[in-house]
Amino acid sequence: MAAPSSGDTNHESGKHEFALDIPFPSSREAVIALQSLSPDREPRKGGISKQLSVSGSKLSVRWSADEARILRVSVASFLDHLSLVVETMVMFGPPVSQ
Amino acid sequence: MTVVIGFEGSANKIGIGIIRDGEVLSNPRRTYITPPGQGFLPSETARHHRAVILTVLQEALEQAGLKPADVDCVAYTKGPGMGAPLVTVALVARTVAQLWGKPLLGVNHCIGHIEMGRLITHADNPTVLYVSGGNTQVIAYSERRYRIFGETIDIAVGNCLDRFARVIKISNDPSPGYNIEQMAKKGSQYVELPYTVKGMDVSFSGILSYIEEAAHKMLESGQCTAEDLCFSLQETLFSMLVEITERAMAHCGSQEVLIVGGVGCNLRLQEMMGVMCKERGAKLFATDERFCIDNGAMIAQAGWEMFRSGHVTELPDSWITQRYRTDEVEVTWRD
Repeated sequence: MAAPSSGDTNHESGKHEFALDIPFPSSREAVIALQSLSPDREPRKGGISKQLSVSGSKLSVRWSADEARILRVSVASFLDHLSLVVETMVMFGPPVSQ
Repeated sequence: MTVVIGFEGSANKIGIGIIRDGEVLSNPRRTYITPPGQGFLPSETARHHRAVILTVLQEALEQAGLKPADVDCVAYTKGPGMGAPLVTVALVARTVAQLWGKPLLGVNHCIGHIEMGRLITHADNPTVLYVSGGNTQVIAYSERRYRIFGETIDIAVGNCLDRFARVIKISNDPSPGYNIEQMAKKGSQYVELPYTVKGMDVSFSGILSYIEEAAHKMLESGQCTAEDLCFSLQETLFSMLVEITERAMAHCGSQEVLIVGGVGCNLRLQEMMGVMCKERGAKLFATDERFCIDNGAMIAQAGWEMFRSGHVTELPDSWITQRYRTDEVEVTWRD
């Protein structure tokens, strides 16, 4: 049997993945966080992608990166941003009734 | 009655201001000042802003005597500027806009300067010279756009001054440009430097390289003092700015000049521009350091104009951008 060809990469994506789930006091607040944190693009153009989503009152983030160091930078940056958003919500919340 | 809160943090100043129908209710600001010889880097600047922004927001509301419910719109700097600091500020703006249930508005930083200048000085339709650490543009309003008539083809004039300040290691407090201005007053020898006006545009990176080298040689040999170099640099840079401003005025048949941006605080620049204006029978307008240096109220003012003419930024479109041309915005609030 011949060795796997160079185009054969699907069986193991070789990607580094990271999952983060953050509980919020309410679904509304999880959505506020999502909408604050999702608009800006990753500063780095390639090698990293992340997805944010809300289910119930939980914010979920999923990363996929080519290299561990790229992943580390993006996650660290996200955590800084998340903590700023949470601090803002604590200081200037709760959200007004809609 | 329309009340707008504006968030600004595209460079090393973080400011939040509140404007109600042309009245500045509050405008607190903090500046990230680095040690002599050092400039400010994006991640450190963002860290500085992040540490103080919520306190400054509290101050803005308290000093204006307002509650969040009194605010009609949340404006913030969409760009241009440094990425990490812009994100830090946008995050807070987006969050409070949602918490308070208010519309969000992404503002062009350059237009913030222009609208603040127009508000404070009541200039009617001036040729605008926008000069700061990050930008150098000559702008005139025409048919729903702030058109760029001339600009730097490399670095901003303020960047040239700031980087020279690092070479001679003067203090960055309150700003390197201010300290260069004070030293220039004591200069007595004019050192000839390259003069690089290119049609409607200007170039500063060559002058910077030249003066960096000249500083090392001449200061060591005692041919001139640092004060002489500060003086010579200002005279050269400002003459170039006066020339391209005059060129734009001639093209537009304009009789008014408005200087905005941090370098606009410089009294020597105002003096030189004043001489040119007098020769042409034109009027010169400038603001003081509260408003020519980056501040939140200028974003609030541009936001006020935009909001009242129907602009709003949806959250998914509220991403920040390091590059944002002044003429990209449709100026729907002017005829």
